[in-house]
Amino acid sequence: MTLTDADRAKFAALADRLIPAYRNMPAASAVDVQHAMLDLALQARPELAEDFARGLAACSAETPSESINALFRQDHAAFGAVNLMAVAAYYMTDEVRRLIGYPGQESPPYDPHETPGYLLDGSLERVVRRGPLYRPTPR
Amino acid sequence: MSGKTGGAARRDEPVDVLIIGAGPSGAVAARALAAAGVSVVALEQGHWLDANDFPGRRREYELVAQKRWHPNPNVRDLPRDYPVETSASDINPLMYAAVGGSTTLYAGHWTPFLPSDFRVKTLDGIADDWPFTYEDLLPALEEIEREVGVSGLPGNPAYPPQRAFPTPPLPIGKAGQKAVEGLDKLGWHWWPGTNAIPSLPHNGLNPCARRGTCMTGCPEGAKSTVNITFWPHAIRDGARLVTGARVREIEVNERGLATGAVYIDENGRERRQRASVVIVCANGIGTPRLLLLSRSARFPEGLANRSGLVGRRLMMHPFSAVLGVFEDELDGWVGPFGQLVESFEFYETDTSRGFVRGAKWGAMPGGGPLGVTSFVGSQIFAADEGARVEDAWGENLHNLVARRFNHCLVYGIIGEDLPENSNRVVLDPDLTDSDGIPAPKLLYKVSENSHAMLRFHVARCTEAVEAAGAIETVVVHQVRDTGWHLLGTCRMGEDPATSVVDPWGRTHDVPNLFIFDGSTFPTSGGVNPTATIMSVALRQVRHLIAGRRLQEAA
Ligand SMILES: Cc1cc2nc3c(=O)[nH]c(=O)nc-3n(C[C@H](O)[C@H](O)[C@H](O)COP(=O)(O)OP(=O)(O)OC[C@H]3O[C@@H](n4cnc5c(N)ncnc54)[C@H](O)[C@@H]3O)c2cc1C
Ligand code: SF4
Repeated sequence: MTLTDADRAKFAALADRLIPAYRNMPAASAVDVQHAMLDLALQARPELAEDFARGLAACSAETPSESINALFRQDHAAFGAVNLMAVAAYYMTDEVRRLIGYPGQESPPYDPHETPGYLLDGSLERVVRRGPLYRPTPR
Repeated sequence: MSGKTGGAARRDEPVDVLIIGAGPSGAVAARALAAAGVSVVALEQGHWLDANDFPGRRREYELVAQKRWHPNPNVRDLPRDYPVETSASDINPLMYAAVGGSTTLYAGHWTPFLPSDFRVKTLDGIADDWPFTYEDLLPALEEIEREVGVSGLPGNPAYPPQRAFPTPPLPIGKAGQKAVEGLDKLGWHWWPGTNAIPSLPHNGLNPCARRGTCMTGCPEGAKSTVNITFWPHAIRDGARLVTGARVREIEVNERGLATGAVYIDENGRERRQRASVVIVCANGIGTPRLLLLSRSARFPEGLANRSGLVGRRLMMHPFSAVLGVFEDELDGWVGPFGQLVESFEFYETDTSRGFVRGAKWGAMPGGGPLGVTSFVGSQIFAADEGARVEDAWGENLHNLVARRFNHCLVYGIIGEDLPENSNRVVLDPDLTDSDGIPAPKLLYKVSENSHAMLRFHVARCTEAVEAAGAIETVVVHQVRDTGWHLLGTCRMGEDPATSVVDPWGRTHDVPNLFIFDGSTFPTSGGVNPTATIMSVALRQVRHLIAGRRLQEAA
């Protein structure tokens, strides 16, 4: 799917209606959702290209609020695609991830031989002391 | 079955044993047979996958999890899947077609059936007892656990004593610790989660790296799946595994014995694999589908279906979840996405609750930021028809992510589903797979017992997260995309009039046709079934090997 600069600008305007600046969080366009992250999102979900293109075509960059609300009421699939692309692109950006404290699916080190806290603080001991729960096989 | 023809068979050359399906049950059978010197061919419609195929390390991971790696084959819509007609089912079945089968996407919760699960008729007066007991199966379970590399802590009072697990438990993390706080306060049972995910290198598996993307395939080669743990051994011992091979029909001869199967290969060519013994391991939907497809003059209602029970008694474990939101940060994206903590507090029957049998809870982390807006297959964040987009999303979205992302703990409730003849798999008259083979259709209604059970457990789970200090709770009741356990559709029993296979997995009607997957389960337990599926497969294949000179062959 090839997007023109005008398409990207329109998408950014729509995305800002869904994700405006708020407290410490930037608006969608401020983290550039309309470029690399939109491309990545569309590439990840090629089956949404049609709905997305239809949604974009139905909207106007001049009246983003009216457009996105009309789309929401009239074409659920197209609205869903535009919405998902905006939200996904937004939360894939480094800046937003830094702000919400999400490092991505990392692999934090751990020591499997370390004694777990529940063995030290007595909590598991209490479970054991309450005794077996299972009903044995009837003989 | 001669047992003398070990070593790799050439393409389409007759073999001792043909296995259909290369998931956990097929792999257990293949490995044991190949080790015993029996010639084996397995046919699998899917392909080999490896760690690099899975999206967990990529930025767009959460987006592809909702489509390419979705557990519902109808959503994925890949040519290797068969579609399932679900318009008459309350629940969508989930599965995956690959070497490793549905465990490609499983969460790895390792929860063997309990003693009472094998005796529900005797103990609770419902459904049927199994033809064997927990104790009968235990040696097979312990052997399987070694191979699988289960991680866990021994001594769980929910189970009778057994051999220790081969690797220590995984860290329960901050989310697991939260779960413990609530359960400890209430004096309810909990135990650090037992998972099919080793914490140390084991049998070709890497130790879990806690990446938390288990349900889209493990990119670290850590989650235990048989493409890593069983098939390499089976192949080394001479088993041949043909992938991209979709079986259309099991054939029989004039004596009513199975002679092998017809399959469509990758290039759309029809082929025939002959064998002395056929074992079906295609799961609770794929197996009855194949038997129903295999109609002949001798078996007009489908193969091995004289009882009329093939496809009936489908059990899928209707599922609800409770999400607790906390002030504290809980490292919501850190794995495993197996179970951090499990609870069996309300597992056994107490009729004063208004239903029979019970459920197991598994505590899991909340997932990434997109997961906060949609959750185990259901949209928990969607606007009302009349809403303004800016009000439904906008600040609302920012607040939602700030409140829930990294602050969630999720309890998944797996409850026992009782067998009913009306819940069934049939063939759809119109829908087909990419090879033109009729697709299965499900007729399935969630029972009153399940409704009551889930209501009760949701209420208790809510108390558990509240006791842990939850500031908000969200109930996701009876999620549709949660048919991950496919059981019961070719019931095992002594009586040919009321069961499809005998206590050793041999079909009553066709003496050289066997079923080793979860379709044979007389009842479903209230736990994730793979530990028991693999143990039953091992028990059955050992018996087949021991008696092989007596086995009647085509
Ligand atoms: C999302 C998800 C999460 C799960 N989580 C858990 C969990 O945490 N714990 C747990 O215990 N279980 C879990 N399960 C269930 C678990 O995956 C299954 O119990 C297990 O895979 C069953 O093994 P099987 O060999 O019987 O069937 P499968 O693994 O389904 O394998 C059957 C194989 O047969 C092949 N096949 C079918 N029909 C044909 C045909 N006509 N021709 C050729 N090949 C065919 C299929 O392609 C498939 O590979 C989960 C499942 C899913 C989908
Ligand atoms: S949590 Fe462990 S098993 Fe799950 S995907 Fe990560 S490394 Fe694999």
